[in-house]
Amino acid sequence: MRTLAIVLGGAGGLAILLAFGDPGPEAQQTAAVPDSIAAPVISDTGALQGPRQPLFFRHDIHAGQFKIQCQYCHYSVAVSPEPGIPSMQTCMGCHLVIAGSDSASRTEIRKLRQAWTEKKPIEWVRVHFVPRHAHFPHQRHVKAMGPNACATCHGDVARMPQVFKVNNVTNMGFCITCHVERNVSRDCSVCHY
Amino acid sequence: MADETTASTLDRRKFLTVLGATTGGGALALSGCSTGKVEKLVPYLVQSEDQIPGLATWYASTCTECSTGCGVHVRTREGRPVKLEGNPEHPVNRGKLCSRGQAALQGLYNPGRVKGPMARNPDGSFQAITWDDAIARLAAKLGEAGSRVAVISGAGRGTFSDLLGDWTAALGGRLVRHETFDREPERAANRQVFGSDQLPLYDLGKARYIVSFGADFLDTWGAPLEQARGFAAAHGFEGGQVAKLVYAAPRMDLTGLNADQWLPIKPGSEAALALAMAQVLVSERGGQPAGLAGALAAYTPALAAEETGVPAATIERLAREFAAARPSLALAGGVAAQHAGATEVCAAVNILNFVAGNIGETVRFGAELPAADGHAALAGLARSMNAGEVGVVLVHDANPVYTQPRATGFADAFRKVGYKVSTSLYLDETAALCDLLLPQHHALERWDDLRPRAGVYSLMQPVLEPVFDTLPAGDILLRVSQKAGGALARFNAPSYEAHLKSRWQALAGELGESDFAAFWHGALQRGGVYREPPAAGAVSLALENAQASYTRPALGGEGEFTFLTYPHPMLYDGRGANKPWLLEIADPVTKISWHSWVEVGPGAARRLDVRDGEILELSTPQGTVEAPVFVYPGIRDDVVAMPLGLGHTAYGAFAEGRGVNPLDLLAAPSGEYVPYLSTRVAVRKTGRYRKLASVAGVARQLGRGIAESIPLAAAQKGLTVEQAYIEAGLGHHEVNTERELEAVHGWAEEQHEATQYGNYEGENPQWAMAIDLAKCTGCNACVTACYAENNIPTVGEEQVLKGREMTWLRIERYWEGGEEPGEPVSARFVPMLCQHCANAPCEPVCPVYAAYHTPDGLNGQVYNRCVGTRYCANNCPYKVRYFNWYKYNERAWPAPLHLQLNPDVTVRARGVMEKCTFCIQRIRGAQNQARLEDRPIRDGEFTTACAQACPSDCIVFGNVRDPSSRVARLAQNPRGYRVLEDLNVRPAITYLAKVLLPAEA
Repeated sequence: MRTLAIVLGGAGGLAILLAFGDPGPEAQQTAAVPDSIAAPVISDTGALQGPRQPLFFRHDIHAGQFKIQCQYCHYSVAVSPEPGIPSMQTCMGCHLVIAGSDSASRTEIRKLRQAWTEKKPIEWVRVHFVPRHAHFPHQRHVKAMGPNACATCHGDVARMPQVFKVNNVTNMGFCITCHVERNVSRDCSVCHY
Repeated sequence: MADETTASTLDRRKFLTVLGATTGGGALALSGCSTGKVEKLVPYLVQSEDQIPGLATWYASTCTECSTGCGVHVRTREGRPVKLEGNPEHPVNRGKLCSRGQAALQGLYNPGRVKGPMARNPDGSFQAITWDDAIARLAAKLGEAGSRVAVISGAGRGTFSDLLGDWTAALGGRLVRHETFDREPERAANRQVFGSDQLPLYDLGKARYIVSFGADFLDTWGAPLEQARGFAAAHGFEGGQVAKLVYAAPRMDLTGLNADQWLPIKPGSEAALALAMAQVLVSERGGQPAGLAGALAAYTPALAAEETGVPAATIERLAREFAAARPSLALAGGVAAQHAGATEVCAAVNILNFVAGNIGETVRFGAELPAADGHAALAGLARSMNAGEVGVVLVHDANPVYTQPRATGFADAFRKVGYKVSTSLYLDETAALCDLLLPQHHALERWDDLRPRAGVYSLMQPVLEPVFDTLPAGDILLRVSQKAGGALARFNAPSYEAHLKSRWQALAGELGESDFAAFWHGALQRGGVYREPPAAGAVSLALENAQASYTRPALGGEGEFTFLTYPHPMLYDGRGANKPWLLEIADPVTKISWHSWVEVGPGAARRLDVRDGEILELSTPQGTVEAPVFVYPGIRDDVVAMPLGLGHTAYGAFAEGRGVNPLDLLAAPSGEYVPYLSTRVAVRKTGRYRKLASVAGVARQLGRGIAESIPLAAAQKGLTVEQAYIEAGLGHHEVNTERELEAVHGWAEEQHEATQYGNYEGENPQWAMAIDLAKCTGCNACVTACYAENNIPTVGEEQVLKGREMTWLRIERYWEGGEEPGEPVSARFVPMLCQHCANAPCEPVCPVYAAYHTPDGLNGQVYNRCVGTRYCANNCPYKVRYFNWYKYNERAWPAPLHLQLNPDVTVRARGVMEKCTFCIQRIRGAQNQARLEDRPIRDGEFTTACAQACPSDCIVFGNVRDPSSRVARLAQNPRGYRVLEDLNVRPAITYLAKVLLPAEA
């Protein structure tokens, strides 16, 4: 269902958005968290898997303990090839009032607020990427696989204090294994163009 | 990119992995992609509401590359424009955009842009200053100059030009609206003949017979996209009809190459021909105002035959055909109407249109087209400058120091002005002489509007943050006004944007719109407001003034040849010379890129004993230039011609020092116009030689049947090309032997079996294309669109000389006839791209399966598999595969030009073969969207970049398996054929043969 939306632009202009429509029911898919988990207290962050981020953002607290849907932050994953990295404004939407329950989280939230005040976005270290000669449309995979879509490649992020690579998504073998299992296209030009 | 030092330490498998790791587009495209590097994800502070990462956002705007005023849609990704396409709602261009318009993107991201305000130091160098400082300096100088202020601006009309007019008037200064090829002769002729100063619109679509007296209406004159659309309707075998186009000029330009008949008349004799045609018409049919017959009586076909060199019988026949086809259309304009007798030419054509009854039919007055002031205004200003009467000059949207012939002495006069200010985006020849540079925003960075014609109000809006420290020209004026005060104090709008909106509020009132917010948003979304054009204004013959007259042109200089010069189809008057696309995509007529050339007729070439590439010295009393010869069958043997647009002394690294400027040869204008036809030229062989940077292969078809044609009568009967040949006794139906048929059928069965497994199972779409050669004019818009869409690198002159240009889509131009002296010559155009053969010769020779057939009928090319053996290119009968010999990806887009890259398309690395993909990124994008919406792809939902751009809609793309699709129907057209069909490679592209009119009809 195509819509012709009119939105006031950041540059002051007016855009004709032809390219995205009603996100539809697939947009309501939820993160695969059967029950709320209690995020552990972490005393030694050095022992955690995955690259260290400039700000210790805990997916296990946000997606696990508080069961915030993936798409609350990764807003374009169901409509676009790109999942969308949340803007600082999205973070501040909650953290304007949520200051943290313990000293560890308060420290990190202070970093966020400082970045917001200074208008300097946090530069996250990228964990997952596919090479640039391969095109991975997120929206089709979310559409096809429904609620478990995210975990298929990214693992159980809801239980990760710090995100690490569970699957080597940079390796084509990982893609192909899944495409063979599900008997979907293995044609080169589906991804490589 | 693979880094040599690391690559050498890797094992083969890893080496290939890294080699194949071509970079994606986007801002990071050229930053390398070694897997060990830490990549950062930088989020937005505040997410813009109209941007979704990974998807395009489209904005409507208006093209400002020439004064036509076409509507554009700007495709932006993550906040930066990556492609320009026509706005389908805009009444001028209806969704199409020419090469020059599309290349505006390379103007936006041009490395040669002035990066901020600058002032000249006493030692002549430029020094960066702040905007406050710059505004204060100009305000102070304006205060000193009083009314001794002059402004030179472009011809575009809109809110800004109104503001500029009021502003100049408030100062008591003088405003000259300048355009290189102004249409003053046409206006003067309209004043004379019809008593109207207006420029008409020409409805080519309605015309049944067209005679152009040197007007290049398909490319460089008038509103080319609108005219090309009309021409396709009239001439493209729609409804089984082809309107004849006769082209009368000493040299064929792109319009001439599309003509059914070329009359190689003597230079400057257009008026004699037009008057003789009118005279035949009036004397044979009568019914015209008394007195007209008398005025025309002297201009007999016999006289015209002597003046033009066209036999009197031909002229009489033309006149009768012209009269019999109702309505017909005669056109004059462009550089053919830029000489001492130009008004006579236009007046004669006006009379011809009048006596044939075309006024109000195909010639429609009342459109209120914007017009520049004639050359006399600029010449007058130059006189004042010389006399020291100008204290401050402001140049906006014009580069007169380059576009005025040296003999006019404009540059010297300009130098004498005390304080010279330029708002140019680039350091062009005029800006280079200025004391203060106030670079304005690019059209894609600012709010503005244009009124290209009555009833059309076309808007521009900022679609990205400014690339450099520039200001909108309107804001410069307003800020200077506030600083200077006095008479300027009343220009007190808080910003130009506010001023524009207040004007649009007034416009809403005029148009009877009460809800301004809705009106404004609607206008922004549609790119403007389009009202019904006013009914064709009635004009009548002002007989007392309509003197039919013809004067044989008086040419200065000495020599064997008359010298002609004309706007370059890509570079126009030189404004395109800083954009690599326009330099590299070859001129559609000569197929030469990157440098100047001089056209010499075949007979003259024999006489002079020169061949392609031999450097000639051309001299007139005004100057001397040297350029290599291109032997051109479409030019008279007593004429030599050179394109304008090169020979820049400033204007950025791409333009400077490239080619020569033929304006240096022209004589000083004696009257109202710049005389592009003014002099004879002495030609001397230098004995030196250079290879032409030509992208043409063999210039003739040599019986290969690449650009097929079919006679009109046969096409009307619905015959195929082969049947038409048989009917004409030129061929026979080839009967295949049983053995041949068996081989082909056996192959087909095998193919069928092979398509039953794995990915190939089931009913996949089969993407295909149809190209109608009856409509293709060879204009290059598709080629530029392909460069823009697919991140095709420009390789530079040196590589073009080695035949290494990367044009995935090129236009082949083949000569027909003209091999014997006196034999008429014509041209055929064939857009040539990957044919996506079902039985492709490139595929089986690839040792690494990089070239392979996709289930949806594409001939795929997997860059990360390709190891660069080039076997595929060697085995391709169409020569449409291109190899990356160097790291073009690192040098074709010097910053910030790389911001134009399309993030959906991989930027190819060195050592990789590439070719047309049928815009696979658009196919996949449409498939992704359709999948989200649980529906099949609809025919016409998307199309390739070339088909989108084609001004005459000759390219149609779609799924040939869907019997209701346009392409499936065209594939069944009797005119359809496949290029090199005998090879049994089964191309997916169906060409529709060009329909030829009988030679003498």
